[in-house]
Amino acid sequence: MRNVGIKKTAAIGAVLVAASMALTGCGNNTGGDTDSSSSTGSSTGAEIVLTINTFNNFGFEKSTDTAPGADLYQKYMDEHPNITIESTVSATSNDARSAFNTALGTGSGAFDIQAVEIDWMPSLLANADKLVDLSDTIPADRYQAWKSASATTADGKLIGAGTDIGPEGICYRSDLFAKAGLPTDRDEVAALLKGDWAHYFEVGKQFADANTGAYWFDSFAGIWQGMVNQMTEAYVSSDDESIIATDNADVKAAFDLLTAQGAQSAGLGQWSDDWSAAMKSDTGFATMLCPAWIVNNVKGGAGEDFVGWDIADVFPSGYDDSKGGGNWGGSYLVVPEQSENKEEAMKLVEWLTAPEQQVATFTAASNYPSAVDAQSDTAVTGKTDAFLNDAPVGQIFGSRAEAVTVVPYKGGAYFDINDALVKNLNTIDVDKTAAAADAWTTWVSAVGAL
Amino acid sequence: MSTTIPEAKLRRRGRLSRFDLKASPYIYIAPFFIVFAVMGLFPLLYTIFLSTRQWNTMSGDGGLACAMGDKQVSGTGCPNGRDWFGNFAWALGQPDFYTALRNTIAIFALSSLPQLVIAIIVAYLLSSNLRAKTFWRMGVLFPYIIAPMSAGIIFRMIFADQTGTINTVLGWFGIGPIGWHSDTFASWIAVSSIVNFRWTGYNTLVLLAAMQAVPHETLEAAVIDGASRFKQLTSVILPMIRPTLIFVIITSVIGGLQIFDEPQMYTVGPGYGGNSNQWLTLTQFMWKTGFVSTNASNMGRAAAISWMLFLVVVAFGILSYILTSRMASGDAPKPKKSAKTNKEVAR
Repeated sequence: MRNVGIKKTAAIGAVLVAASMALTGCGNNTGGDTDSSSSTGSSTGAEIVLTINTFNNFGFEKSTDTAPGADLYQKYMDEHPNITIESTVSATSNDARSAFNTALGTGSGAFDIQAVEIDWMPSLLANADKLVDLSDTIPADRYQAWKSASATTADGKLIGAGTDIGPEGICYRSDLFAKAGLPTDRDEVAALLKGDWAHYFEVGKQFADANTGAYWFDSFAGIWQGMVNQMTEAYVSSDDESIIATDNADVKAAFDLLTAQGAQSAGLGQWSDDWSAAMKSDTGFATMLCPAWIVNNVKGGAGEDFVGWDIADVFPSGYDDSKGGGNWGGSYLVVPEQSENKEEAMKLVEWLTAPEQQVATFTAASNYPSAVDAQSDTAVTGKTDAFLNDAPVGQIFGSRAEAVTVVPYKGGAYFDINDALVKNLNTIDVDKTAAAADAWTTWVSAVGAL
Repeated sequence: MSTTIPEAKLRRRGRLSRFDLKASPYIYIAPFFIVFAVMGLFPLLYTIFLSTRQWNTMSGDGGLACAMGDKQVSGTGCPNGRDWFGNFAWALGQPDFYTALRNTIAIFALSSLPQLVIAIIVAYLLSSNLRAKTFWRMGVLFPYIIAPMSAGIIFRMIFADQTGTINTVLGWFGIGPIGWHSDTFASWIAVSSIVNFRWTGYNTLVLLAAMQAVPHETLEAAVIDGASRFKQLTSVILPMIRPTLIFVIITSVIGGLQIFDEPQMYTVGPGYGGNSNQWLTLTQFMWKTGFVSTNASNMGRAAAISWMLFLVVVAFGILSYILTSRMASGDAPKPKKSAKTNKEVAR
């Protein structure tokens, strides 16, 4: 019987394989959640093809309606006629990460260059032997010190070249603020919001009382990123890598404070279609935490011509008023050891992360540079953003970057633990299927099972 | 003298043709089996080996699987000792495993059954005389040639909780929004409708091909005997296309229990399979275990899950084979009925 089963499976398998082969022919252009766009070089004698995978919007691509960019690949290919760059862009960093992990784990299938988010770094540092050492290629003092430190192993190997950082301001809808009788000028808003998280929610209460039909912020998950990135050691102890997440009083206090604000949250799953659509809706949300790179998403969701979004040079100062600003995300480029074009890939990484290119990226898109020379460049400091009511975004993000006082220690298990927590925050906030206390319990047991 | 040479030649020729007769068929089918051995059999056997190992996806083989016990197994080392079936024990101890099993079977039931019924009906309609036959037949197959990922994105927009097409339309009639991504049953319906969208047309076409092969004489005889259209389908066509029916059912059982693309594409944000695993399937659970976490990814455990999935598929495959054979083979209860009516008539 077993034998028969296997034969049958085999025969059917063959049919399915044939069918899927037929399908992939049509499927090549839409690699799933990933929009793949291969940019072919203008040169005819292309000898080397470099593949690169990014996510969200790095600003390297040609500009489109939903994703502004500096068209850097084309520039590089023009300068290096023997290079062809093939780029794929994953919709979210989670998609990119799981594919990258799969490739690292199986030892094949990785891109020549992979963009990685700062939150993946701790676990990648533990597997540093699978990634190329960039310390000879990239000048050590190119980036802010903490940026490089987060990508350097104990024995001095630099596995990632910094692209952008995510200093956070607060983006707000001035039209909704006006409706609620709150000030709309960005300096007044900054003064209004100055204070800790509890204060931010108090203003939220004022906004809610005005009954505008909109909510104060987008989601628990979004606010959580702001809160957790202000904690020096949230989930993992820096002493012995032991998991302290569920016993950490800071985590619990922040969790309790946040989950008590259900009425102020629009309850939208981050990155969902609903989330993007709400950015231009009158019944959407009035504020969101705004790391520089997220401005691209807001633009994409609301539409370039939408009038209303603005940004204030302020950020909640921890939940006990002890912290300065906050940094959310920001990325690196890494080259996997399994790449067949390591040398060329390293050169491209060096070029893409050089100050000039970071300036170009920030000017075209909104990814704030991590390179020190780029941050002080007049093109960066002088940049205003028409979409954000001509806000001096160069100045604001510069000031926000200076306000960051905490470089959180994350540890290898950070991503898994935080992912589990975000999922459980979503069950309260988005799905509305769990009470806060139950979600906490579920998370505690999920952390125990890691 | 002159006769011996041809004799030897003849013998050689005879041997050759005997060899040809006996071996050729095997040589002709060999490519498939060689490919299968490399692509199918080897992974199958290697997965057995893997399922007994403590195998971190990043760092590789770490000896025999860790035994489950009182102490939490994490990172390196096995505090409870080692056990051949440690990975199986781990999987069976995970609540997520049972959730995934439940979801898989539910989504399978919600997709395969309606799919089959609709496919039979549509195939039957298509087999009748229609204008622009090819147009209709190609139309049915159209969803099948759409890449699964595109279908996933389209359906994600249709099923978006607040701005999605369905909830918007429901809103016009004052029906409250359905939590497509929060309610477990609603999410099953959504995921299985993606599956149905993609596969109904394919199955329809296979069944249609089989229906075309049913001899006209037989159908005419049935018509003359006064069989209604429905009766023609259930009593003549379905029994006659039984082998194809079995093929369609077995393939959809195997495919249905292994679904991955659809639930994966249906996921938004970090919660693969839903924030509280509403639509997490076994293949997704296996993939999560094996690949998603950088630190704790465990190939051995993933292999153990995949073997249990294999057993589930085999069990369902056998079950559906038996059921289909019963259903279409003898019309077992019918002769009795007709005998009874005959008797009644006789009386």
